[in-house]
This record gives sequence, C-alpha cells and structure tokens, in this order.
Amino acid sequence: MRFARAYIRGLWDGRMILGYTLLLSLTVFIVVPFLMIALRSVGKGWFGRLWLPPQLTLDWYRWAVEVGNIPEVMKNTLIIGIIATAISTVIGIFAGWAFGRRQMPGKEVAMAIVLLPRMIPPITYALGVAKTFYTLELVDTYLGVALAHVSVCAPYAILVLSATFEGLDERVLEAADVCGANTLKRFFYVVLPLIMPGILASMIFTFTHSYNEFTLTLLTYGPHTVTLPVRTYLAVGDGYWEITSAMAVIMVIPSLVILAMIQRRAEPEKLVGGFKGV
Amino acid sequence: MPEAMIEFRDVSKRYGALVANDHLTLTIRRGELMTLLGPSGCGKTTALRCLTGYIRPDEGRIFIDGKDVTDVPTHQRELGMVFQNFALFPHLTVRDNVGFPLMIRNLPKDQRTTMTADALRLVRLEGYESHYPRQLSGGQQQRVGLARALVYRPKVLLLDEPLSNLDAKLREEMRFEIKELVTRLGITAVYVTHDQAEALALSDRVAIMNRGRLEQVGTPEEIYEQPQSRFVAEFIGLSNFLEGRIEVVDGATMRVTVGDLKLTVPALPQTGPGQRVLIFVRPNEIELLGPDEPAGENVLEAQVEKATYLGDTMDYRLAFGQGLALRVQGDAQRRVSPGAPVRLRLPRIRCWALPGG
Amino acid sequence: MTAFWRRNSSGLITVFLLLPALAGFFGLFFYPMLLTVILSFRPEGQVAGWTLENYVRFLSDPDGRWVILLTFILAVGSTALSIVLSVPLALILREKVRGHRFYRLIVLVPLVIPGLIGALGLLLFWGVRGWFNLFLTQFVPFVTRPMAVNYTIHGLIMFYVWLYFPYTCVTTLSSLESLDRSIEEAGAVSGATRWQVLRHIVLPLITPGILAGSVLTFMAAFGAFSVPLIAGGNYRPLSVEIYKEISVPIPARWSAASAIAVVMGGLQVIFLSLYMRSVRRAGGAGGSR
Repeated sequence: MRFARAYIRGLWDGRMILGYTLLLSLTVFIVVPFLMIALRSVGKGWFGRLWLPPQLTLDWYRWAVEVGNIPEVMKNTLIIGIIATAISTVIGIFAGWAFGRRQMPGKEVAMAIVLLPRMIPPITYALGVAKTFYTLELVDTYLGVALAHVSVCAPYAILVLSATFEGLDERVLEAADVCGANTLKRFFYVVLPLIMPGILASMIFTFTHSYNEFTLTLLTYGPHTVTLPVRTYLAVGDGYWEITSAMAVIMVIPSLVILAMIQRRAEPEKLVGGFKGV
Repeated sequence: MPEAMIEFRDVSKRYGALVANDHLTLTIRRGELMTLLGPSGCGKTTALRCLTGYIRPDEGRIFIDGKDVTDVPTHQRELGMVFQNFALFPHLTVRDNVGFPLMIRNLPKDQRTTMTADALRLVRLEGYESHYPRQLSGGQQQRVGLARALVYRPKVLLLDEPLSNLDAKLREEMRFEIKELVTRLGITAVYVTHDQAEALALSDRVAIMNRGRLEQVGTPEEIYEQPQSRFVAEFIGLSNFLEGRIEVVDGATMRVTVGDLKLTVPALPQTGPGQRVLIFVRPNEIELLGPDEPAGENVLEAQVEKATYLGDTMDYRLAFGQGLALRVQGDAQRRVSPGAPVRLRLPRIRCWALPGG
Repeated sequence: MTAFWRRNSSGLITVFLLLPALAGFFGLFFYPMLLTVILSFRPEGQVAGWTLENYVRFLSDPDGRWVILLTFILAVGSTALSIVLSVPLALILREKVRGHRFYRLIVLVPLVIPGLIGALGLLLFWGVRGWFNLFLTQFVPFVTRPMAVNYTIHGLIMFYVWLYFPYTCVTTLSSLESLDRSIEEAGAVSGATRWQVLRHIVLPLITPGILAGSVLTFMAAFGAFSVPLIAGGNYRPLSVEIYKEISVPIPARWSAASAIAVVMGGLQVIFLSLYMRSVRRAGGAGGSR
C-alpha cells in the first residue's frame, strides 16, 4: 500500500498532469492561428464544415504575386526597411555612445524620454506625422515612410547600442594601448569587433520593427509605398481570406526565422523592450 | 524513550553518475549535537536535505524519533532549520517571520504572541519585532532564523552552515550561543559545516564524510587523536605521515621501521610483523630537544631545511634519514635556523598508526 | 575661446552626439505630437482659431464615452486575464520540466509577429468555419450552433490576451527566478504545504514583478490598433475611432481625430501614473532584498 502510494506520487503527481496540460494547451493556443493561416493559404475549395481543405493549391500565392503585386510590395518593404534601419542605426550609434560612455546629467530621464514614442500609442502622434508629411510632400515616398518608422525604431536602436557601448570594458581598451596599438588600429582590431555584435543586433531589431510596422505606415503610405503589412490589411478589407493568408505567410516567415536565430543568444527580457532597464 | 533520535539507514542518493550519498548509515542520539563535517561535495548537505525531506533518497530509510519519515513530506516533519543565507522572508517583519510556523499551524493569536516573544527572548532580540530583515545585520538575521526554527519547540534542529556568512569574530560568538541554546533546550541538533574548528568546538560527536561515504564518527577527541583513515587524519588539523613496516608487536605497543629508524608506537589491532603501516603524528606534537637532553625512545637526528616565522609559532621542514621529511611546529621563542642540526622526539602516545602504506 | 572649449568640450561633444537623436525625436515625435494637440483645438477644416468644440462633441456624445469605456474594458480585461494565465505558467516554467526551453520560446512568439497577422490567424481559427467551432459542433454534445467569438468583446479580449500576455509572463518568470529557493525551503520546514508556501511567501514576493509586466500588457492593449481594426467588428476602441475620423468622412476630420488622440494619450498617461504609484506602494511593503 505504501509502495503504491509512493509510486503514484512519484510518477503521476497530479500537479504534473495539470502542468503539462496547461503547457500543451498553451502551445496549441499559440500555434493554431498560424496553422490556420498556413492551411488557408494553400486550400482550394475549402467551404463548409471541413477540418482540412479538400485540395491543395498554390493559386493564392500565384494570385498574390501576379495580381496582388507582392514582389513590388516586398521591394517597397525592404527599401523602406533599409532606409529606416540606416537612419536609426546612425542615430543609435551617436546617441548610444553618448548614453553608454559619456557623462550625462539626468540619464534615466533622458532614456525614459527616448522610449516615449514606444509608450504612447503610435496612432496618437501618427496624426501629426501624417499632417506634417502632407505639408512636406513626404507622403508616399520611401524616405517619408522610412522616417515615420524611425520614430519607433530609433528608440530600440538607442537602447541596444547604449547597452553595447556601456559594456565596452575600459580595461580592454587600456590593454590594447599597453600592447602598443594606436587609435586607428585599436578601433579596427579591438573596438569594432567588440561592438559589432551589438550593432548587428540593433540592426536586426530595427529592421524587424520596420518590416512589421503597420500603424505609421498606414498613415503615411501611398500607391507607390505599399508595404507588406499594409497590403495584407488591404486584402482583409477585400474579403479574400485565402489571399490574405498567403500574404500573411509570406510576411511572417522571415520574422519567425529571425526569432529562432535570436533565441539562441538574447534573453527574452531584452525583447520586451527594456522598460525600466529590466 | 529510544536512545536514537535520528537514524539514517542505508541512505543513498544519486544525481546521474554522481553519488551524493552512498549507503549512509548513521545514528544521532537524543539530545546530542552531531556535526556532519567534510569538504564540499562530500554529501553532508544532501544528507541534511534528505532529513528535511526536501530531497528524496533513492534508497534507504530515514527515522526521526522512532518513526519512519522517508515518505513524510517536509512540512509534516516537525523540524526546525537554520540556513546559511538566513532564508528569512523579506516581506515579513521579524515578528511575522518568527511567528510564521505558528501562523501556519493556525495557533490562536495570543498563543502566537507569547511563543514569538519567548523565541525572540531566547535569541536576545527583544525589541526588534517590527523590523524587516533588510534592516538587520547578518548576526541579527541569523538569530531571527534561529528563533523561527525554535519557536514551535521542534525535537530536532538542523543547521546548514549557519555561520558561514558571518565574519570571523561574530562566528565565534554565535558558536557559543548556539551550543548553549541547544544544550539548554535539550534539543537534538544536526550541524553541517566544512569548518573543522567549528566542528571540534561545538559537537558532541562528529561524522566526517567524504564523497558520499562516512569516514568516521566519534567525539571531537577521537577524531582528532585517533583518526581511522588517512583522509580523516589529513582533514583535521595538520599531519605528518611516515611509511613503515611493523617489526615486532608487543602487547599495547609495536616497533615499526621507518627507513633506518625504529619507532615505538601504539599497536594497531589485527596487524602483525611484516605488515606495512602509516605512522601519523601532528607537527605541533613533535618535540624539539635541547642539546643536553638524553637520547631515548623515538628520538632522531634531523636537519632544518626550511624555517617559516608565523608569529606565534615557527613552522619547520626537517629532513632526516634517507630523504624523509617531517613538518614540525615549534615555539617561536626558541628558533632554530635552517641548516642547523636538531634532535626530535616523537612521543609514543602522540603517534598513531594507520593501516596501509 | 580655447578656455571655453577646454572647459566645456566634454559636454559639447556629448550634445553633438545626441544631435541626431534629438533631431529625430523632435521632428518625428515631439513636433507631430504638438501638432496633434494644436489641431485638436482648431475648428474642423480651418487653419486658425481656437475652440473646444472637438472635445465637447466627442465627450458629450454617449458613443464617444462608450468608445473610452470600451478601450478600458479591453485593456483591463486582457491585462487581468494575462495575469491569471501568466502566473501559473511562470510557476510551471521555472521548474525546468522537460521541454521547458521550447515552451519559453512558444511564449515569445506573439511578441515577434505583427498584431495584424496574429489577429488574422485568430479570426480564422475562432470563426464560424474555424477549427474551434468545428470541434464544438461536431464533438461536444448538446452544441449544435457555432459559438460567436469573432467580433465580440470577449473574443477581442481573448485576442488581446493572445498577443500581449507574454509581457506579463516573461517578467513574472524572471521575478520568480530571482527568488532564493531556500526561502521556500524554510517555509516548508516551518510547516507550510506547497500551496501555503505559494500563497504566503512566493506570491507576495513576485507581485511587484507581475505588476511591472502587466503594465506593459496594459499599455499594449490600450494602444492596440491593427488588431481591433480588423478584428473589432463593430467595437471600435479609441485608436480605431481616431483612424475612422480621418479615413471615412470626406473631407477627413483631422481636428476631431486629434481631439480623440489627445484624450487617448492623456488617459494613458494618467492611468499609467496611477498604476505605477500603486505598484510602487505594493512593492515597497514587500521590500524584497
């Protein structure tokens, strides 16, 4: 009797079963929407009460590419992303260096201000951005949309890069000096390799945010600067779930790939945006 | 009432390939303070946690006050425990920390107040009820931990390196307080530490562990003066080992040849002539003889190789015989310089033989 | 001149370094924000003049007040549910059960995909032809009609939870993992069962972490735009209402939209400060080391 009780407690702790149930339910809860999108994007004749599409097809993808103009849309997204990343990275490097390595009174306040565009709902100041861009004729231009993106991307760049630069150990630089390196050599052989991972991380984050950015794009785009998120949204409006799904798949694959790559290195807390320096 | 308060019967615990406890069998008597002593990784903490129930042994049974508690969960074992890092509840006041076990047991409020006050008086922390742990010093926090462990008068008190996080002077003070408290309350205590001075000062008995196994159990005197194995001899205090062979066994003593020397030492039971032994003698028990003292038993000539001044003692490395060496500690007042010849005596009763070689 | 330079060069260099960021901040955030505020006080469609009519019109209209209420319902509801979901999840994940790294990754997924995509997938799954209702009508006894989830308030709240609970979960987990396990052992030895340890020791100590994470969830839910845009149906929170004012009427009603935007921004700041103050008060009493 004692043996049976111990055995049961050891292996099938009620808590364990509950725990695993919760974990599995969570996984299903999270994963299922993606499955639906994926299936819808390749389903033909999927009407009525069917669990799976009766036929598979790539028609919707073909439609997205030929009629939906996906290649052009993708091109727009990438160009805008590159511009936004470039500008944000420059801002980030300069400001990050200031935050990370220089004396600055009220640094925490300044950092909080830097993060403000992420804390205030973008739609609120997007109005002002749109109005300004109309006046400046930046609407429907690559530069315009990219600048709009910079307002939400640059804070991340500053955050990541200031942490990177702060982490640059003085003593390593001193060691390089002692070993006989002049400033130029020191920069190329010591500083650059040390900050490169941070710069790359910042660029990846920034590009990802620009790639996924919807709200600001919606208010500053035009026929020539349709990005993937906006295009997908427009497809929803048209009512064709299949096309929308195909576009969504095209859009989301790179993000998931990057997540898989990143999770090996960064801690989840960094992704959460670094509020309060957590 | 049975004499044994705590029993480990053949307790084993493995973590993959690592054997933390290897068929541990140990009895702790009612009212005694038993110390589990050993280097890191020897299994003393694992054994303690098997006692609390936080770790379940893979094999073996554990008994507390005659009852088999191996399958009893931690919170029903009625133990008190003091932790190395105090483990106080940071969000509760001292009063609520100490009263926590009572609150859990749903004791009426006035009883809780009395018992809490009693416990705080025991550890001399009256007046600190409303403080939070972060407002207290290390020593005070540990006293709170002690009060919390004792407040419901458990039969057994467990202490897991309770003084390691305190500075040296505080450690000595707290040592006496703990011992005095435990003796006064008549509680059985199991104390875990890697600090041998602490173990020797506090314990009624010491259990030395090494790599999951029990090396020796005995009083501090037995451990120090009559180690049963090389490990124990080396672990406690300083030691010298000389390899020799038994020549003659004569009742309570025996004569052993070490190189060219003949030493007379207490006999090792169940050994005979021709067997190899290890002679063990402590550096501070070897006598440095003056030039006019006569030769005698266990006296030998040696030369000082190295002399280190340690303030109150001199630490010598002495060479003798053919390439043999001894470490000797002597009075700093009567210094001998390197190169000088000396005569040593290894007093018979201070020598101790161990099997092997 | 050189003396001035020498004394202040360090500061000047810092300012120089900050110039691009400052330019970006002012040009792309502060000035647009200011413009929005100014616009909100302009009569509709005009370039001069001050008026409060935009605010009055919005706040006196019961529909306008409903929009505000709805935004709060969605935000508060999803935040509360996120907490309810995150705490048990975090407690399980910290035990390092088999595959816990995989599950931690799963928790992160909603964070990295755009809300639009998440909303799309959720709409497909919970829709009338989606798997949920198929399961409900085919396998659950006594249910013949599909359950309406899409375009309902409770559905929308669930969508928000799907998207934004990871903020709470991650900070809760990190707070949990920073707890010293020996405190829990002390609790157990003192006689507390697992549940009692949880209730009296663990939960009070991780409450600051939970609240900090839930602030992030709340902010995300309050400011959510793309999700209610496509999945809100007839329910339009503040963000969508703003967009509606400039996208539906012709000519676009910028002033009306701006007024709503200012109300939205203001409410968020107020609520945030109140929340932070109560968080700090809760954290202060706990006083974890």
